[in-house]
Amino acid sequence: MEYVSPEGLRLDGRRPMEMRQIRAEIGAVSKADGSAVFEMGNTKVIAAVYGPREVQNRSQQLSDQALVRCEYSMANFSTGDRMRKPKGDRRSIEISLVIRQTMEECILTHLMPRSQIDIYVQVLQADGGTRSACINAATLALADAGIPMRDLVTSCSAGYLNSTPLLDLNYVEDSAGGPDITVGILPKLDKVTLLQMDSKLPIDILENVMQLATEGCKAIANYIREILLENTKELEYRRGS
Amino acid sequence: MVGLSLGEQHFIQGGIAQDLRCDGRKRLTYRPINVETGVIPQANGSARVRIGATEVIASVKAELGKPGMGQPDKGKVFIYIDCSSTAEPAFEGRGGEELSAELSTALHRCLLGAKSGAGAGIDRTSLVVVEGKICWDLYIDGLVVSSDGNLLDALGAAIKAALSNTGIPSVKVTPGASNDEQPEVDVSDEEFLQFDTSGVPAIVTLTKVGRHYIVDATPEEESQMSSAVSISINRKGHVCGITKRGGAGLDPSVVLDMVSVAKHVSEQLMNKLDSEIASAEAEDES
Repeated sequence: MEYVSPEGLRLDGRRPMEMRQIRAEIGAVSKADGSAVFEMGNTKVIAAVYGPREVQNRSQQLSDQALVRCEYSMANFSTGDRMRKPKGDRRSIEISLVIRQTMEECILTHLMPRSQIDIYVQVLQADGGTRSACINAATLALADAGIPMRDLVTSCSAGYLNSTPLLDLNYVEDSAGGPDITVGILPKLDKVTLLQMDSKLPIDILENVMQLATEGCKAIANYIREILLENTKELEYRRGS
Repeated sequence: MVGLSLGEQHFIQGGIAQDLRCDGRKRLTYRPINVETGVIPQANGSARVRIGATEVIASVKAELGKPGMGQPDKGKVFIYIDCSSTAEPAFEGRGGEELSAELSTALHRCLLGAKSGAGAGIDRTSLVVVEGKICWDLYIDGLVVSSDGNLLDALGAAIKAALSNTGIPSVKVTPGASNDEQPEVDVSDEEFLQFDTSGVPAIVTLTKVGRHYIVDATPEEESQMSSAVSISINRKGHVCGITKRGGAGLDPSVVLDMVSVAKHVSEQLMNKLDSEIASAEAEDES
């Protein structure tokens, strides 16, 4: 199948190095300590953060750092074909783990010993790149909750189809079977914290594709920073100072 | 769970007794209701309803299926509710399953009526394409995104809004050669039939705190309840289903009184919902 037309356009009309429309909103779940909605094209996720708070299960308490937990779940209506999967299937567990490890790395857990931080991400619409969208939403939610972090974490995926590196794959491109790299970076420190790839790819091309994904992450980081700044200004205005 | 001191508990109970609740509402006043339709593009119909800080999403998906054995003239409707852990950390893992099951069965009772399908709020006969052979199966999925009390009423409202947003594709049937053969169907991508929702009831939950009852209780108020009765009432004022929760017993005369109060409240709620749904639809189209 042709994923990039001779004119250099992708199935949804994007250029190979173009990202989908991104949109973020802070404070979607008013009862949570921090929450955010993140959209990448048709992919839409909600993240909610509860904590830092008392550890619920005493045996898991850590005396020198905070306990970070994460749960990823998909709504029944999130995919094109309706599915009914029980909570906690293998894929969700794996993604929960990936998000937890990525976020734990950037949270300054040593500042909050004997406490617990819960991150819940809920996918409302899935159209490829849910992993990245979840991480971006979780970053915003953690920032909204005022949890001390080393840096923001942002994530973006890239692939390689029809001998062209493509940024931010959607579902159709994702299921094409080509290589798919998900990268997560700490934009200020300029370090990679998350890197996943399936399928095979020559080394020199890998470099290009990874570079592309990293550029995507940086663009998202700029957007997220803008949203956070706007939110802070709004809060400041409401406080009346 | 909500942790309240003795003083706070008295304050809530006293406020309800004096018809002035903590957020300034009267006993029978709802929080502001906000409806958005068409929020899930891949579904046949969907809606998001916010009541105060409670937020639920309902989606309707229609799939072609076969009518049940005993009911060749009726389509099938399934209701599943999922409590997302974003709403409450306690819903993590399997924690939300009990509440999900409770809400699903309560909604089933309120909207679909008896097993035979008699007295159902959703007209299942309109879902039949070829009697005994093909019908539409409606999958109604509810998701609790944020929970701040009164989930059942919010879910009922969201399902009502999602159904009125639902377009069921029109179907062309080519009859099979013989009677036993499965007829061929051609599903149109462009023509949609609007689902008739005039008979879909609204759900009103009355929560009894002390000697009085209130509508649209917050979690703090729910923690003080002795019992709660959810009554679903349609446009004509007919009761479509009743569910009682909570331990304390109720005097039968109180139940009847509650039903008549619920009838009165449901009229206002229904009008409010209809106008919200209409404005949401108008916004969705523009």
